[in-house]
Amino acid sequence: MTVRENTISILVNNKPDVLARIAGTFSGRGFNIESISANITRNPEITNIIITTIGDQETVIKLEKQLNKLVDVLEVRDLTDVSSAQREMILVRMKVTASNRDRFTQIVDIHSWKIVSTDADYCILEVTGDRQEIEDSLSLLETIGMEDFVRTGIVALKRCSPQQIG
Amino acid sequence: METIGADIVIQVLREEGIDVIFGYPGAATLPIHDRLMNSPIRHYLMRHEQAAAHAADGYARATGKVGVCLATSGPGATNLVTGIATAFMDSTPMVALTAQVSTSLLGQDAFQETDIIGITMPITKHSYQVHNVKNLASTMRQAFELAKTGRPGPVLVDLPRDILASKCELAGERGASTLKMNGKRAETPEQIEKIARALNQSERPLIIIGGGVKLANAFHLIRQLIEKANIPFVTTMMGIGSVDAANGYNLGLIGTHGNELANRIVHQCDFILAVGTRFSDRSTALIEEFAPLANIAQIDIDPTSIGKSIKINLPYVGDIRDALTALLPLVNEKEKSEWLQRIEAEREAAEKKIANGSGCGQAGDFIRKVQEAMPGETTVVADVGLNQIWTVRTWKARDPRSLITSGGMGTMGFSLPASIGAKVGCPERAVVAITGDGGFYMNIQELATVGYYNLPIKIVVINNGHLGMIRQIQDLFYNDRFNTIDLGSKVDFVAVARGFGIPGSRIVVDENPQSGIEAMVNTEGPYLLEAVVDPNNYVFPIIPPGRSNIEMIHDRLD
Repeated sequence: MTVRENTISILVNNKPDVLARIAGTFSGRGFNIESISANITRNPEITNIIITTIGDQETVIKLEKQLNKLVDVLEVRDLTDVSSAQREMILVRMKVTASNRDRFTQIVDIHSWKIVSTDADYCILEVTGDRQEIEDSLSLLETIGMEDFVRTGIVALKRCSPQQIG
Repeated sequence: METIGADIVIQVLREEGIDVIFGYPGAATLPIHDRLMNSPIRHYLMRHEQAAAHAADGYARATGKVGVCLATSGPGATNLVTGIATAFMDSTPMVALTAQVSTSLLGQDAFQETDIIGITMPITKHSYQVHNVKNLASTMRQAFELAKTGRPGPVLVDLPRDILASKCELAGERGASTLKMNGKRAETPEQIEKIARALNQSERPLIIIGGGVKLANAFHLIRQLIEKANIPFVTTMMGIGSVDAANGYNLGLIGTHGNELANRIVHQCDFILAVGTRFSDRSTALIEEFAPLANIAQIDIDPTSIGKSIKINLPYVGDIRDALTALLPLVNEKEKSEWLQRIEAEREAAEKKIANGSGCGQAGDFIRKVQEAMPGETTVVADVGLNQIWTVRTWKARDPRSLITSGGMGTMGFSLPASIGAKVGCPERAVVAITGDGGFYMNIQELATVGYYNLPIKIVVINNGHLGMIRQIQDLFYNDRFNTIDLGSKVDFVAVARGFGIPGSRIVVDENPQSGIEAMVNTEGPYLLEAVVDPNNYVFPIIPPGRSNIEMIHDRLD
């Protein structure tokens, strides 16, 4: 069995202890949560939690069965092998100096990145993309004055409706 | 008297047919304990909350009904934890009620506050904290439904004191169930047909009976299947008694401490129908070499139990009764003389390897004598350690719920409080608790409960002065370097019992056990029999750690 990164989308009741139960199910079965993102859905009483975790397919299926047993878990979808759009976002604080200003402006323009906030010496940049794009962007920004960044978990959405996939 | 939240708790308990709870009061439970005075529910005051959980567990295992325990906030709640975990591992339907500090104090580190929801997350099916008296009835109802539904298990309801004390109306009719049934897939008739076909085609079939057969009340169906198709069966520890142990098709207990015959036949069979078992490591020994020749079909209501540790060729997720009802008419009445003859030859070979049959030595002989002296309708509650293995391998369980023990969790100290629950649940049956000296110490305070309620429980303390099972492991696998297992011989258990108001006597099993057994059986009410055995009396054969189930060792030198 190949070990790989899996993307799992979990619909849950929006209650205080649900995240703890989900995290406990992962840790109790020996899984690490590589990335996580969560927010409410169109129905504000329901939250969508998207977790990426590393494991082989057979073991991840066992984990999904355990998640399904939780009372406040409404649905578990494995998006790993499903056609889906996947994005994450970083906010990057750049130190802007006379020596890097031109190169920085040029790179931001080429990539159509968005500048969220600026002052005299610093600016904060917003970059979204799939995992590889984010990795590449970080490598590039590292070379031109990146000071710090924060990175969201992956958000993922199936490309077609659940009925079509079944 | 105005209606308060505590009345709703009692209202739902009554709706659920609960007439007994096991508990211990504290300041935060008092609204419930006060209103219990107006209700027909009997409250057994235990001497420790852990014992309340084990008693509720024993009650549920003996009756098949939901057991209920009640404890106060903080230490009361945390003391339940071992008992809840024990029930969780063996899928006992249980509702644990804990009082909690008032909602205004939650999170303030108030006196006797603890986050029991967080603590019990991994050992309950679910845990609820009630924040509004309007949700109290629906939460209590859902807790009971959840405890009983699917694979049963413990559910905890945490009840803040102000919710219990707040004025309200009694709850209305219960609404439709709001419990979601996730991951429950409807099995098609084809799946049962496939299992039937594989079973009919097999030449060396075997049934493994797990604890799920009891939980599903599928005793008659499984016996019909065995007898119609002439299929031999083995059991897990939790499956013992589902079919009368004296049934000719019974090959015994599988696993690391199981019978040689049962383990050898698992290794030789070409088809296994596993019913209500999760293939725990205790049952399979080295998983990679388990049943190497068998095509395996598994019936279980819990999808996570299927294929968890072993590859299953023919899974069926669903109620065992539904599955067996559908399977029975499809199964051929087939002679299996060749297979059954081979098994008889194996039986003879296995018996020759073990000096006196059971492999339990003088302790096994003694337990056999205890069973012979007790009425036919006796429930035995075994503790954990050598005494458990001696009991489950020696006691001939005739009725499905007549042998109770902590299988999955292996909780020492279980038997005495669980026997209280079993006796309260089935007062018409005799109850004998069998424990070692080590486990007995762990809930010894429950002698007070037995004495106070004058419960006619026969308590057999098999005393070898040691933690016997650990001693055996040190002897065999740690080059007989004995350490931290000597419990000494200074304690006079008969005097201890007398101090709690319970008569008793002491015997040495290889001298004159009969006099003590007779005194126990002939004494009305509770009795403690201390039975001294040799600390070198172990259990054989056993499977050493990391070995397959045919690599058994038969004595110290093996």
